[in-house]
Amino acid sequence: MREFITLLGYELKETFDSVPWTVYFWFFFGFQYFVYGQLVSRLVVNLSDYYVYYGTGLLIIMTFNVASWSGRRFVEGAHEGRLRYILSLPIRRGELFLEQLLLGLIANIVRIGPPLIIVLWLNGMPPIVLLTSLMVLLSMSVGVMGIMISLSFIAFKSFDIYSAIVATTSAILLRFSTILYPLSFMPNAYSSVARFNPLTYGADLLRNVMSIDVNQLLNPGSSAFIVAAVGVSMLTLGMAIVPRTLEGVKSS
Amino acid sequence: MDSAVETMGLTKSYGPLKALDSLSIKVRRGEILVLLGPNGSGKTTLLHLLSTVLKPTAGTAIVMGYDIVKQSLQVREKIGISFQEARGFWRHKPYHILAFHAAVYGLKGKERSDIVDQTLRDFELWPSRNKKFMELSGGQAKRLEVAKLFVHRPEVAVFDEPTAMVDLDGKRMIWDRIRGLREQGSTVVVATNEVREAEYLADRISIMKGGKDVVTEGLRTLKDSITGGDVVEVGVSPAITSGALKAISDVPGTVRVTQVTEDTLNAFVNRSEDWLPLMMASVQSLDVKITSIRVSEPSLDDVFLHYTGKEVANARA
Repeated sequence: MREFITLLGYELKETFDSVPWTVYFWFFFGFQYFVYGQLVSRLVVNLSDYYVYYGTGLLIIMTFNVASWSGRRFVEGAHEGRLRYILSLPIRRGELFLEQLLLGLIANIVRIGPPLIIVLWLNGMPPIVLLTSLMVLLSMSVGVMGIMISLSFIAFKSFDIYSAIVATTSAILLRFSTILYPLSFMPNAYSSVARFNPLTYGADLLRNVMSIDVNQLLNPGSSAFIVAAVGVSMLTLGMAIVPRTLEGVKSS
Repeated sequence: MDSAVETMGLTKSYGPLKALDSLSIKVRRGEILVLLGPNGSGKTTLLHLLSTVLKPTAGTAIVMGYDIVKQSLQVREKIGISFQEARGFWRHKPYHILAFHAAVYGLKGKERSDIVDQTLRDFELWPSRNKKFMELSGGQAKRLEVAKLFVHRPEVAVFDEPTAMVDLDGKRMIWDRIRGLREQGSTVVVATNEVREAEYLADRISIMKGGKDVVTEGLRTLKDSITGGDVVEVGVSPAITSGALKAISDVPGTVRVTQVTEDTLNAFVNRSEDWLPLMMASVQSLDVKITSIRVSEPSLDDVFLHYTGKEVANARA
């Protein structure tokens, strides 16, 4: 446990040592929410309050980005030799995986927490929603981190291919989902694809706990189940794949 | 338990390539074993397997009584590795890097800060202690990589090319520190392709080639093992005669004799210290006088060439 806490503290220090990176996330949110969000909301007339809808979508995009960053950081660590050093320390492999997960979650809370508070406050939502919303976002980020880390076996062969696959996967997952537009507005071809996308369920679940456009959302029970199932299965997959692939890693 | 480390049929494959091929060697407690071999001979793979960074494809190894496959956590508590390439947490400073390393191994408070300060001074990193890792020179980063093992002094310390990128003064300093580590009770394994490093550090040398251990012996034994490895240049007066040539050729331990000039010959012999008195006795009755004797023993390069068919310098290319 001592090693686990020491490593987590050390990695947190490095993660947040780069203040501009964290500030950039908040700036990105501010610009998207207060400038782009305001403007695009005027164009959307079919939804009663698209600005609120857009705000929650933006939070999910940011959660996705931070979680992707966590997975990518893990892969980069392997290539840079940092992970190899950590593997040589007296820390259990399972603890290391959990430490990486916790690091990602803390990074998520720090970077997404303030924007989430702003969205909730501006929309007059009660404090309890902060807790439930955060739980949904963190559950989603566990799934995304699991996907990104599980894909790391590709990166250990070729980082370029990994980057291309992650970029393509991210683009598809974000566009074919209800992050920016409800399922009911999508043409059938789009909506049938979006129903296979876990982000659709995450986005709808978040809007459910925030009580936004409830009539247009998927069932919260099944959404919660799918978000949890994706998180657990991706974590399990990552724990199964990563220790096997790590031994073949050669730092560049 | 005589051995600090014992490998048993240790094998690591990457697809069809066998980086380590059924290796079985022992490292005695408290010795410095140097692994000498060209790039691709399996030295680094062996160190990574011993420190459990990699898992073997077949076979296993015991480190201080623990199995690297079944008891990897306990192994990591006993062993410390200094990697070939100094890579790390780019934004951290040398002080924090060493303090973290010490904390993972249970050092706390003043004891930790004292040992970190001392190690920074010992490795001439004190003036750079507040620079970020990414701002260090190659030599400084390498010294920091080596210094990690001196904050917790593991029972088994393994170094992968510990003086690569380090200047001459720095090399000598690191070698002396590694010997000091051994004197304080650690068992040390050093992988290198630098002959001078091997000669300076080794209690025993393991010559590796193609993932296998070709030979493991002390330096003296390795040099003595080369047939005709000692070259004795003998000067005679007034000139070499056929009788003198025959007498010297017949001395036990002579492998061959070549005439260099009319009054000088080279004798290729085993163990010149045993051969010389016998040679002196055998030429006493002849009508020539010995005017000069010069002995040169085989270098470690010669030993390496003898066992691997490659010169170390060429092997490195």
